[in-house]
Amino acid sequence: MKVPRQKNQNNPAHKNVKSEQENTNESQKKKVKRYFELDKPDSKTDTKTDEVKVYNVKVTPRILWNQKQKDQKRQFLKNEYGNTFSQRKQKKKYPGKAPIDPKRLEKHSRGEGLQGIGVRNPIHKLKLQKKEKLYQKALEQAARSEILLTEDQGYVELEDEDSNTRAINQQIIARNIDIAAATKIFELNLDFGPYRAKYSRNGRYLLLGSKKGHLASFDWVTKKLNFEINVMESIHDISWLHIETMVAAAQKDWLYIYDNTGTELHCVKTISKVLKMEFLPYHFLLASVNEYGFLSWLDISIGEIAGECNSRAGRPKAMTHNPYNATLCLGDSKGVVSLWAPTVKEPLAKILCHKTPVSAISVDNRGLYMATSGVDRSIKIWDIRNLDGPLQHYKVWSPPVDLDFSQKDMLAVGFNETVEIYSNCCTQTVSKPYLRHKMAKTVNNFKFCPFEDVLGIGTDRGFTSIIVPGSGEPNFDALESNPFQTKKQRKEAEVKALLEKIPAELITLNPFEVTEVDVPTMKDIIDSKKKLLHVKPKKVDMTPRRKNKGQTHIARKKIIKDAARRDHIEKLKAASALYEKDEQKEKPVRKQSFGVLDRFVSNPTKSKK
Amino acid sequence: MEGIDDIEHIASDHDQLISVISKLDKTQHIIEPTRNEPTNINSEFNLIKKSNKSILKNVSNILSDTASHVEITKKLLKSQEESKVLSKPLEKPQVERIKRATGYLETKKKVGRWDPIVARSRTVDQVFFPLKKAENRLQPTQAFISKLKTKSELERELEAVDPPDIVQEDDEEEQVYPMSYEEMVEHRQHLAKIRAQESYRAAKAKRQSKIKSKKYHRILKKDRLKQQLKEFEELQKSNPEEALKKLEALEKSRALERHTLRHKNTGKWAKNKMIRAKYDKEARQEIAEQLAVSRSLTQKTQDPDSSDDDAEDNVVIPDIALAQDPMNPWMLKQNNKSNVDAEFDFGYKKYLKGKMFKHKEDSGSEDEAEKNNDTTKACSDAGLNTLKNKIEKIFNNKNESAQIDKNIEEDNSTEQNQSDLNQPIQNNSNITKNKIVETEQKQKENKMKKNKETLNNNKKSLKTKLVATSYWTVEPVENKDKKYTEGVGGAFDNLERNISKQVNMKLDIFRRKLRKLEQLTASKSKKKSKRIGNSESYIPENNLEYLKLATQNKKAIIDEQLLETTSKTIPTEETISDDIMSRAMLHNKIPAEEPTNSNIDPSKFIEVKPKFLNSEISRQETELDVLDDEQVVPKVNIEEVFEEDDVVASFRQEKEDEANKDKPEDINLTLPGWGAWGGKGVKAPKRKRNRFITKFAPKTPRRDENKGDVIIKEYKDLKLDAHKVKELPYPFNSVKEFEASLRAPLGNTFIPETAHRKLTRPNVVTMAGAIIEPMDEDELLQKKNRTFKSSNVIQFINKDG
Repeated sequence: MKVPRQKNQNNPAHKNVKSEQENTNESQKKKVKRYFELDKPDSKTDTKTDEVKVYNVKVTPRILWNQKQKDQKRQFLKNEYGNTFSQRKQKKKYPGKAPIDPKRLEKHSRGEGLQGIGVRNPIHKLKLQKKEKLYQKALEQAARSEILLTEDQGYVELEDEDSNTRAINQQIIARNIDIAAATKIFELNLDFGPYRAKYSRNGRYLLLGSKKGHLASFDWVTKKLNFEINVMESIHDISWLHIETMVAAAQKDWLYIYDNTGTELHCVKTISKVLKMEFLPYHFLLASVNEYGFLSWLDISIGEIAGECNSRAGRPKAMTHNPYNATLCLGDSKGVVSLWAPTVKEPLAKILCHKTPVSAISVDNRGLYMATSGVDRSIKIWDIRNLDGPLQHYKVWSPPVDLDFSQKDMLAVGFNETVEIYSNCCTQTVSKPYLRHKMAKTVNNFKFCPFEDVLGIGTDRGFTSIIVPGSGEPNFDALESNPFQTKKQRKEAEVKALLEKIPAELITLNPFEVTEVDVPTMKDIIDSKKKLLHVKPKKVDMTPRRKNKGQTHIARKKIIKDAARRDHIEKLKAASALYEKDEQKEKPVRKQSFGVLDRFVSNPTKSKK
Repeated sequence: MEGIDDIEHIASDHDQLISVISKLDKTQHIIEPTRNEPTNINSEFNLIKKSNKSILKNVSNILSDTASHVEITKKLLKSQEESKVLSKPLEKPQVERIKRATGYLETKKKVGRWDPIVARSRTVDQVFFPLKKAENRLQPTQAFISKLKTKSELERELEAVDPPDIVQEDDEEEQVYPMSYEEMVEHRQHLAKIRAQESYRAAKAKRQSKIKSKKYHRILKKDRLKQQLKEFEELQKSNPEEALKKLEALEKSRALERHTLRHKNTGKWAKNKMIRAKYDKEARQEIAEQLAVSRSLTQKTQDPDSSDDDAEDNVVIPDIALAQDPMNPWMLKQNNKSNVDAEFDFGYKKYLKGKMFKHKEDSGSEDEAEKNNDTTKACSDAGLNTLKNKIEKIFNNKNESAQIDKNIEEDNSTEQNQSDLNQPIQNNSNITKNKIVETEQKQKENKMKKNKETLNNNKKSLKTKLVATSYWTVEPVENKDKKYTEGVGGAFDNLERNISKQVNMKLDIFRRKLRKLEQLTASKSKKKSKRIGNSESYIPENNLEYLKLATQNKKAIIDEQLLETTSKTIPTEETISDDIMSRAMLHNKIPAEEPTNSNIDPSKFIEVKPKFLNSEISRQETELDVLDDEQVVPKVNIEEVFEEDDVVASFRQEKEDEANKDKPEDINLTLPGWGAWGGKGVKAPKRKRNRFITKFAPKTPRRDENKGDVIIKEYKDLKLDAHKVKELPYPFNSVKEFEASLRAPLGNTFIPETAHRKLTRPNVVTMAGAIIEPMDEDELLQKKNRTFKSSNVIQFINKDG
């Protein structure tokens, strides 16, 4: 049965080859014809072989060779084992491990591996190839271990399909969830002015700092208070340090560091008048920007300033850090967002986001998207990894006060007294919010709680915690940040984190730059070696592994451009049609002109009036 | 027998004859070796290389003539044909070559069996030593038991008859140790202590030997000297012979010193110094010291046995006039600095002198004159020697007094002695004190004369005083110094003085002003309390007030503008569509223009259309809307208020500047007017432009080139580059491959634990305590080694050696 089928399969291929050859002959005479432009030969083959699906493959000598090899092999096997071989293959009793979804593999992939071309020594080559196999196994294992991520993301399910999720308020949510989860909706009425709230990295602890000096930290799940003090000075910003026993507060003049009992550990006088702070956990850097736009990075592990520079952008409007590459994003009053690294005195990049002052910035967890909002009542989503134009441009009714991305890329937008949460607003254009929470208080800032479906809002009269289903990452990595960390684990994690501290110099736009070879310097070294007599320089293939991904593809842009133009033309046509209609309505009136005698012509419209 | 003899005789004769004949013919003939004696071993060199085939043929030819022999000839020929003559053995080098070749092949084959093993062990991830794993499987019970045997009856009987020697273990254990355990510990501790102390001492000695301080060494020497003196004294008491020997040794050293030219003024160093001495005070001092050393060394010790005359001859009469001459280094006996080398001898001399006194006192028969002599001698010594010597003398005196205690009778005389001795010292010191006072007075006078003598100068002068050899010399030298300072330092002093004066002046002015201001403010406050509306006193406060007002005013202006400008309302959905339409109309011409521009500006076409979100309408606005119904409140479009057009323009300008910053400029080498008309507005011809203006190749496109309003800084981060790899490590010759080898993380926080362990396991694992034996041939049989087939690696290893 199989032999004729093979023949059938082979025949069209050969025919295709023929046709290709003919085409090439033709191409010499005429234009080059692509495979999809061929009509006649395909139709012929189609009519001949109806049962077999025919794919048009551009036949290259390599493919032919491969085909030949396969055929030979098959023939050989048949001669050796007869038909049993194929049967045996099907009848495998224990097929081994379950196959892995290639998408999952792709997710864990570290990119293209070693080919073994650039290694001449066969011993090393073999060793490296073995290592490569281990890498592959590690990748598979990582993909397989996803089965251990048992928790699912939260969501809101509506009984009737038509109604909107935004209509669901916190009371409804509280009614429909279990009691333990419902305790996560709470409100704190506090008297010391607008509050800022921040969650610790494992999402267990909450830090509150008010403009009127109220500073408190507590385990927000059990509501167990760590400390509560009034620093008797204005607090402009607060930040957790690497563990929950240390807290930084930017007070009126200087930066203070307190421990979990409220004892002042340090008063950092080298950093003054701080307005915004961010902590970079892997670098142990406390980044801050002060009233005059001075940026400073304080290495809290050694107590030294890792970098300082003047942003020359005046009073900062918003600041956040990009978790992907640890750069600081600073929004200024000119609508420009600039990216900063501690060792470079100038911005790594600048993006003109708005024509008005920037009011808030947020970068998503993976460092793909940046959301900015301006006083011009617009929100824009940017591709921060490639530093490319606005992916989305939203207009809202009032200027947003604050923005925050959740771990699952939900964007919370704070207006005066409302907080709206938009889900999946980066890749798609959304029109309405996922959830909306109205309060009788003005919003000061808010943060999504890591590993919880909770949004904590600091308001002018206290703190509000609301539930946003599906906002948090359901599965935590206990080695990374563990919400259920014990004291001992915390201590060990601290030591480990210190050992794995990344130096401040490595903060760049591309965090993988360290893994790349410094090709220009290498070239210089090789060139200098070439100049030496009797020294034979090594032949080196200089092509880097990573292409510059930041560069825009002009072809892609052209396509977009064409699409935009087509769209535009269509619209123009429609518009002109409309316009013409209007004109046509008016034209007959105008056409019948008799020059000076027009006044005598009776005007029906006028007469009507 | 005779016949044989004859034949031999004839043969020898024949041989002789032939040799003679052959000699006639003067050419050399290789004589065919002849076999004289039958031997078992035939040398291959002696064999005659003649084929016997021809002989056989000849024979057969002869035989063929006769018919009867035809048969025989045929047989012979046949046998000749059939018989296989052994081929000639190959020559030795050839044979050996073949042997070597075959040997090589054999050994290659033998050794080649190991190739896959070697290749495998080189490429394998992990090697575990020892290679042979011990059988750790438990034996089946039956097998184990079968090995155990009970003793047979015969054995038991034999044992009863002849019991096996009981190994005297107890005896061995009870070895006689020289020490008990406690003793041993103690002993060891003691030894350790001694060792430690020794090491401390060694360390201390090392440390001390490294000390360069002269003062320290001086003190050390002095201590040593004292110690030696004490020892010598004791020696004299206990063992006078030894003491005498020591004295003799001293005398010998003196003789040696006299004999040599050391510490004289004849050496090269001394001559050089002498040349310098004219101008350099220090050089003078050094020479003086040197000479003083030689003198002290060569001074004859007054032996108690020697005659008095000699002693009298040796008496040095102090020439005060000479000694006081500051410029005469030869007379500089009074030096504060004691020579380091000579110190020991110095001390001895002093001691000896003291001894002499004692001796005389002891003798009892003493002349007053002699005594006087001695005292004068002592006086002179005291007067001439340095302060240290004085101290030593006091020491001597003490010695004397110690002696005196024994002889109570001559108390008075000794007292006199002492007083006599002490007087000159006191005198001397008095004199010096006077001198010091004088100099100080002079200095004071100087100070009075020159108003501003800096403190530093004073200090310097004091220092010089200390360094100087005598107080007499101080004055002129110091004067000189002062002159110098006046010459060079004076200028500086003047400058300083001037500046300080100016500063003081200014300070004074300021102070005055301050005082005035204070007075003023005081008066103002008073006035304020009296009259509030005083204009003068309010100037600063008014300023502040003015500033504050200004800011407020500005705000007000903004407010006005807000009210004035806008008539637009927030776009509703209707207006949105209108907007789109209007924009479409506006952009009508743009697509027609764009194709001409090859440079793509994404900002012109990838404009994401703003999407109006169905977001919350703030309460304020709704309130405003409510108000709208009743009265017309001009609504403000906030974005238009805050929007600054030049924000975009300035940003683009910034981007352009950034791009142009590192663009190389064209080099223009055209000479305007050269070979053509020049002047204003005249352009160089195209040919010239092409030739003389060198254009640089365009740089690689910037990252932000096609990105609209984004500036990406292109820079070289040196701090980061320090972390990057600059040269490819050994096995790689492709950047891509090397980077690929680094791409995957190994840590357990990044990959699963098992994978992490697999990736980070050690290359070589050795079992603790196990003996690692070399490989044996069993390894060849192992499957893993047999199946290793990587011809590349095996080839490479073979090629490598």
